[in-house]
Amino acid sequence: MLYSLAIKNILASKSRTLTIFLLSMFATAFFIVYVAFTNGSHEQMIKSSVEIYTGYAHINAKGYQEESDYDHLIEDAGQIETFLNQKPFVSNFSPRFETYALLSQKEKTVGSMITGIIPSRESSFSHLKSSLVKGSYLEDNDTRAIYIGSDLAKRLSIDVGDEIAMISSSLDYSTAADLFKVKGIFKTGLFDFDSSSAFVNKTYLDSVMMSENKASYFVVSFIDNKAADHYVETLNNDLPQNYEALSWKTLLFDLVQLIQVDSLFGYISISVFFVVIFFVIMIFNYVNIYARVRQIGLLRALGFTPKDIRVLLFNELLIIALLSVSFGAIVGAVITYYLEIYPITISGLAETYKEYGIISDTIPTHFDTFTIIWNALSIFILNISSMFYPIYKINKLSVTEAMRYV
Amino acid sequence: MRYLLSFIIILSSFLYGSEADDIIKAVEDNLRGDFMYAKMRMIVTGQRGERTIEMESWSQGDTKSFIKILYPKKDRGITFLKLDTQMWQYVPKIERTIKIPPSMMLQSWMGSDFTNDDMVKESSMIKDYNARLISKTASSATIELLPKPNAAVVWGKIIVDVDISNKVPTKEIYYDDQMQKVRIMTFSNIQRHGSHNLPMIMELKPLDAEKKKNSTKIIFEKVNYDTPIDASYFSKNALKRYSN
Repeated sequence: MLYSLAIKNILASKSRTLTIFLLSMFATAFFIVYVAFTNGSHEQMIKSSVEIYTGYAHINAKGYQEESDYDHLIEDAGQIETFLNQKPFVSNFSPRFETYALLSQKEKTVGSMITGIIPSRESSFSHLKSSLVKGSYLEDNDTRAIYIGSDLAKRLSIDVGDEIAMISSSLDYSTAADLFKVKGIFKTGLFDFDSSSAFVNKTYLDSVMMSENKASYFVVSFIDNKAADHYVETLNNDLPQNYEALSWKTLLFDLVQLIQVDSLFGYISISVFFVVIFFVIMIFNYVNIYARVRQIGLLRALGFTPKDIRVLLFNELLIIALLSVSFGAIVGAVITYYLEIYPITISGLAETYKEYGIISDTIPTHFDTFTIIWNALSIFILNISSMFYPIYKINKLSVTEAMRYV
Repeated sequence: MRYLLSFIIILSSFLYGSEADDIIKAVEDNLRGDFMYAKMRMIVTGQRGERTIEMESWSQGDTKSFIKILYPKKDRGITFLKLDTQMWQYVPKIERTIKIPPSMMLQSWMGSDFTNDDMVKESSMIKDYNARLISKTASSATIELLPKPNAAVVWGKIIVDVDISNKVPTKEIYYDDQMQKVRIMTFSNIQRHGSHNLPMIMELKPLDAEKKKNSTKIIFEKVNYDTPIDASYFSKNALKRYSN
């Protein structure tokens, strides 16, 4: 009887029902879309950082992350190649040989990272090739060709076609020196990277550095990069003892921390929104319940106990909350899903975005069922919490007080 | 009485500081000389094995020096010039002279445990550090060197053991800015050359756990303190000219 009476009451006061319904629905939909945008931008940050150069996982000799010197190299790159070829979940891999060198052009000398890469294989991991702004990308048979960051080129005052000297230390610690012609200039938007990185075909660099069949590390990608942590664990179980596999979360630890801090501040901001929604819904409930105080007094006079009144009002608000949150969740999910497939594109800004290390001109959204469910549940709990005070207050009135209430 | 005691303490610390300065200055004057020619062998031991580098060096005071690599064959003819705190390198293979930028000063010199900064600032103990006498006997002294305010130095502290009679260091312990021991340099086989005493063997051992096997030993094979060196060695043209 209380349940059917609750439905009757909901339908009887349409404007009250509609106001609370819309308020709760918009709050749910807004929260879901907001979280989807935040998660989407974090995912894009990771994707940009990981895919520009780092990659989803590395295999290196133990100790290389702490001391990236020649004492911690992969001494038999062929062994790791064979190992990775046997792993069905590894989709691509490539060795890199990183070292520090002095690059010099006339009076200017700059310390820089020089990396030997296999150009054709590298393009499936990183955005080095697509970050080209002048000249051309490296090829697998290049010899004295160097692919250089735009800010490094500026620091050395060089352009495509210019010759630069490289002086470094070869693996036997004798001086390794050579002259290279600038083949291409790249710009990823990551300033540190663009101002201190240069790339050479690994086969040729190996002949200069005496690093044949050696690598600083292997960069690895998987059939499903979202499961990188799981695959890295599997690799670590099978790798020879003196090697380790590391996922991007370890390699880009600073970025992971930055994202966590950003998420925390995001939730602090949204909690302000929660407080506002909570009080608005509570005030609406309060006002609407007090508008019916004579009706409630009449019900009490007819024999309804305070518990019956509590259950009746609770049922009314629960039905509205359930419907509005469910509907809001559906609206939010549809918007999120649509924006994930058809993200908002700010056309013409791609080049500007590139300046800031963003490799896409779209505003990303991340659709995730679990996230949507907990977002909707949060608003639902907020709705339920906002009922208690008005219901408690109304039950404090005696029957005569309620009947006389104006 | 209390003021007198404070005065004596302050005065004695000045005297101790002054005596430490005198010892360090005497050591530097003895080692440096006005001119110095040396032929040296440097043995670098690391995890990848051992290698030997032979070189000649010419220096004038503590501001000018010129080094030429004689061995291994691959590095023969590489020359280095130091003028004050600046350093240039010439590589005959590519016929290029490059100036070592300040950012590379802490990088290894020729794959050894010495840094480029060691080559440039080798003799700045008296200029950049405040010396304090820790202990002294008739023949030896232990001195603490702490960087002077605003001195552009790498080390947080250096403890030097000195052989007072020969005016040479016997051991130097280097600390980083966190006051952790970073490396130890030992000096041995003291020989007299003209009016100077020189430890003919210097050995540097980094204390980093990762570099337990590393060491760099410099053995002086020929030393001449008394012959003036032609000024042509201390110009940028010398890098290429004396490379062969």
